[in-house]
Amino acid sequence: MAAVTLKNVVKRFGVFEIVHGANIDVEDGEFVVFVGPSGCGKSTLLRMIAGLEDISGGEIAIGGKLVNDVEPADRGIAMVFQSYALYPHMSVEQNLSFGLRMNGNPKADTERRVKRAAKILRIAELMKRRPRQLSGGQRQRVAIGRAIVREPQVFLFDEPLSNLDAELRVQMRVEISRLHKELGVTMIYVTHDQTEAMTLADRIVVLNAGNIEQIGAPLDLYDDPANRFVAGFVGSPKMNFLAAQVVGNDGDATVVELANHGGTRLRKPLSGAPPAVGAEVVLGVRPEHFFDTGEGDCDIAVKADVAEHLGSVSYIYANAGPEELIIEREASRQRASGDHMVVSIKAGRSLLFDKSGARIR
Amino acid sequence: MRYQNATAYRFLAPYLLIFSIFWLWPIISSFLISFQATRTVPWRFAPTFNWGRLIGDPAFFNALKNTLLILVIQVPVMITLAIVMAVLLNSPLLKARGLFRFAFFAPVVVGEVAYSAVFRLMFNLDYGIINKLLNSIGLPRIDWFSNVTPAMAVIMIAVTWRWAGYNAIILLAGLQSIPQDVYEAATLDRVSKLKQFFYITLPLLKPIIVFCAVLSIIGTMQLFTEPFLITERGGPGGGTETLGLLLYRQGFRSLNFGYASAIAYTMAGLAIAISLVQLWLTREPK
Ligand SMILES: Nc1ncnc2c1ncn2[C@@H]1O[C@H](COP(=O)(O)OP(=O)(O)O)[C@@H](O)[C@H]1O
Ligand SMILES: [Mg+2]
Repeated sequence: MAAVTLKNVVKRFGVFEIVHGANIDVEDGEFVVFVGPSGCGKSTLLRMIAGLEDISGGEIAIGGKLVNDVEPADRGIAMVFQSYALYPHMSVEQNLSFGLRMNGNPKADTERRVKRAAKILRIAELMKRRPRQLSGGQRQRVAIGRAIVREPQVFLFDEPLSNLDAELRVQMRVEISRLHKELGVTMIYVTHDQTEAMTLADRIVVLNAGNIEQIGAPLDLYDDPANRFVAGFVGSPKMNFLAAQVVGNDGDATVVELANHGGTRLRKPLSGAPPAVGAEVVLGVRPEHFFDTGEGDCDIAVKADVAEHLGSVSYIYANAGPEELIIEREASRQRASGDHMVVSIKAGRSLLFDKSGARIR
Repeated sequence: MRYQNATAYRFLAPYLLIFSIFWLWPIISSFLISFQATRTVPWRFAPTFNWGRLIGDPAFFNALKNTLLILVIQVPVMITLAIVMAVLLNSPLLKARGLFRFAFFAPVVVGEVAYSAVFRLMFNLDYGIINKLLNSIGLPRIDWFSNVTPAMAVIMIAVTWRWAGYNAIILLAGLQSIPQDVYEAATLDRVSKLKQFFYITLPLLKPIIVFCAVLSIIGTMQLFTEPFLITERGGPGGGTETLGLLLYRQGFRSLNFGYASAIAYTMAGLAIAISLVQLWLTREPK
């Protein structure tokens, strides 16, 4: 059991700074997911925690102990790699026990740990097989099993599900969730898939180009994103962004005019300082937050380009001038490509961002 | 379908014709010749003439002994050396990797005559740099080419120098195909670099090592250049005569083609047999 603390952690490869001062507090027993687009530095951050990459600046502590100069094997962590990184020439059993055997762990204890891991992951019948004789999902279980056998204080996962097909991914997601409950240890999980992040995490760290954009519980990020990047990254399909301009301030509300919707105006109550009149802003509306005509605070007319009917929901890809909108409605089952429709936006179910992407609350 | 096959064979015909005349026929022909007495004209069929002589010929057993001796010492030493070289080449600490790779590979492309001449000079009794070096550290000079044991050593050193780098390059390709994250997983498992080498690198490299060993066995079975040029036709007194040299002596100096063919088939048979044993010993379990 251990908390993980990152303080102003910086990573440079030569002259390129990849991580710009990350501050993260992972509590003991917490499941934290690092999420962000490909190349944003998630793996680098995780590998610094594991000790596989040097730390260029800042401090990393595991269980209250500074580990900057501690060998990877002495950090009390276990890592599951995206490519599984199983030893190809060893049987499943040998893969699980290799580390313990190499370190002179008592035989009986090694056997006990391997048995336990096999039982937890339901791979007991695969013990004699080689990795190449296993399916992707089975390999992933063995890779996780190898981590369990180490009995670490912290589990690190680097995109463990991205090589699996969609169905297996959902299944393994549930398994990892179950594992976290069963073992109760700290887990740090890296993914570029926001769905995985939302479903697995106690807390999510959203990364973008080496910066932490926001840290918070999944629904807090969904309901109350700090900025346009987080708003666009969390939630599927993506949030719609409508260009707008502030045309006036009215008490504790601001009035914006939607640039591509024929001067439609929306009065949006704010809690903080209102933006300057004339400022260009962006109105964010999630696909699932469009309402029937007249139900919201302003209506906009759009023309459906493509309609996708998935049964439980329908997605309408609609055009309004240069803006492409995604509208999710259950009530749109009968809509077809080319239809004109009028949908309504609620002030309380939309978010306002300034030009730089910062939230206007 | 059948028509297409016929067309394909028509295109292949020129190659197959040349292959048959210059490869297939000599292989068959020499097999037949090995059953003929070729010392007298006309040649006559005498199945036991050459093969019978082979079984009782001290020169043959001397050459066989020399060849196998070189094989069992030189091949393992060279492969071990090649593995070490490959690991060093693969090290992230190494600078100027391309230069080293070229340097390791260069001996293969150096002309055989030039290389042999240089080795003769280096091991020369009076002026050779090797004896100078031995002297400088207080050891006595060695008369490399007048005694059998040092002469055999020179041959093994020369062959190893020439082919170790070549094998190292092949092994390097094998090393580079081992994924890095397997080593990272082992590092997290607290497995030392040395243990990683013995428990991960070597087992994963095994197929390539076996490949190199088989290539080297075949090459050494046919060893000719070094005993011919460096120790002057298997000298001293036949002490370094190999099967390849014996074949040359019988076939092209005594013009005894029947006996030379029998030796050639023995060499090929031995190379195949040893390689098969090697493959069988190092086969993947199951
Ligand atoms: N060894 C390295 N040398 C130089 N740049 C690297 C190295 N490893 C990663 N990078 C760079 O660091 C950035 C972040 O990489 P990474 O952490 O792997 O991203 P992610 O896992 O979020 O996709 C990328 O731009 C990548 O090109
Ligand atoms: Mg990554």
